Amino acid sequence: MQRFFRPGGQRALDLVNFFVADVQTGFGPFVAVYLTSHKWTQIEIGFALTLGTMTSLISQLPAGVLVDSIRNKRVAASGALICIITAALLLAILPAQLPVLVAQILHGFASCVLTPAIAAISLHLAGHAALGERLGRNARFASIGNGLAAAIMGATGAYFSSRFVFVLTAALCVPALVALWAVGAGPHARAQTTSRALDMSGLKRLLSDRRLLIFAICVMLFHLSNAAMLPLAGAAVTMRAGHFANIIIAACIVVPQVFVALLSPWVGRTAAKIGRKRLMLLGWGALPVRGLLLAVLPGSWLLIAGQAVSGLSAAVFGVLLPLLSADLTLGTSHFNLCMGILGLALYLGAAASTTISGGIADSAGMEAAFLALAGIGALAFAMVWLLMPETRPTEAELSLPVRE
Amino acid sequence: MAVMLAGSVARADDAPQPNPAPAPPQSAVQSVAPEDAEAILGQRVTDPDGKDIGRLVDVLVDANGQPQAAVIDFGGFMGVGNRKIAVHWSALRFNPADANHKVTLDMTPDQIKAAPEFRNPNKAASVVTPPDNNATSP
Repeated sequence: MQRFFRPGGQRALDLVNFFVADVQTGFGPFVAVYLTSHKWTQIEIGFALTLGTMTSLISQLPAGVLVDSIRNKRVAASGALICIITAALLLAILPAQLPVLVAQILHGFASCVLTPAIAAISLHLAGHAALGERLGRNARFASIGNGLAAAIMGATGAYFSSRFVFVLTAALCVPALVALWAVGAGPHARAQTTSRALDMSGLKRLLSDRRLLIFAICVMLFHLSNAAMLPLAGAAVTMRAGHFANIIIAACIVVPQVFVALLSPWVGRTAAKIGRKRLMLLGWGALPVRGLLLAVLPGSWLLIAGQAVSGLSAAVFGVLLPLLSADLTLGTSHFNLCMGILGLALYLGAAASTTISGGIADSAGMEAAFLALAGIGALAFAMVWLLMPETRPTEAELSLPVRE
Repeated sequence: MAVMLAGSVARADDAPQPNPAPAPPQSAVQSVAPEDAEAILGQRVTDPDGKDIGRLVDVLVDANGQPQAAVIDFGGFMGVGNRKIAVHWSALRFNPADANHKVTLDMTPDQIKAAPEFRNPNKAASVVTPPDNNATSP
């Protein structure tokens, strides 16, 4: 197997991204379906889901600091995967109040560790100069994993048993762990690690970086516009289509993943060649286009076309979030904390997105909600265009020694 | 709420008590077979042809505890695109004797599609009533 994973752990890292995306598919909105089938009331389900979201919000920064302070990022990622196995097994075996709440907390925290840890491993493996291309591969394999897992889990969950989804989730953590340890140690492992658990001066330096603040707002606005579009499109499909609704919604989930898989490597290579900002304009610019399409497209099959546009924004976002984190923390040891800050912005935007669009859809209808989301997308695009500086480091900056 | 039917049969003796007795009345325990009364929360709901269309997730009752409407969660794939609709209690048929305990909803796909979404339990709910029950529409 070692021979298969050579050279340099790139292939192994592909598989890590593939399996981790598989594992994350079952958590998310499916938890509500699963708990409903186990006679949970709507209030109890709402509480369990909110607890998971709150855990993710609160854990972003501490998890980033934690991963920064762990020298071997594979240890951090493995710990997170073991937490996720535990959470999946708790959900599968004991769908009762306390075990489910524990599972939600475990999964929320573990995800906050896992995402930056995998990005950090990528940075160690590829180095900054080749990071764009590496992140393009990450996003490609993650979206293949995501699309496949959604299709398989959706089919088996509907015709088999919803419990099977979490058994499969726990089982898929095992190949994820094997692939993780096959990656091997990167040459940059020491450089990106701080020796202090909480580096206040580093935190100050990071937070006073104007580029980070602007990018964090861009990330928040991105998800304020983006997060509610799929659930809203799904609701529109269920309302308009009869028997085929589930197949159309499945296509709304899987088709964008196909586009992400196709576009991500190009995004990664292009970011290294022409810089980050023009790609950001492309990805952020797709948001209002998608919102408008979802608002005006008639019928339900055409909504898939509107959803396909999200593949472009998702590919750009998936590659550029970790890439800009690396740009902004070049030469420091706060890459994971920076990922945590951006993760926090992402979660805040996503949480507000669902609430705001739900309220608008309630009072003014679904088209108005899509138009509002498109408007926020246009605002996000304007923010990138007018305020976001280019962050691609120069050749000279790339060869600077690491500050500690 | 899931065991609402069980609640009505496990009640204390059936004799009406005009004044609350100072001493707690002795409660009787009756055993109810699953064929006679079923738990319905989270149960699958099918259309008249037997096709799976959703799950029963809540029951709306009046002051007497009589069920008025059921909230049914329709559609969705992996939890995306769910839509909750409140339907009049009379539109549902229960079949406790069936091993799968399926609940049947007497509505056409078009009626389900046209139904307004049930969102906030604290606001007036739009309860969908099948055509032949329009007289009892709330």
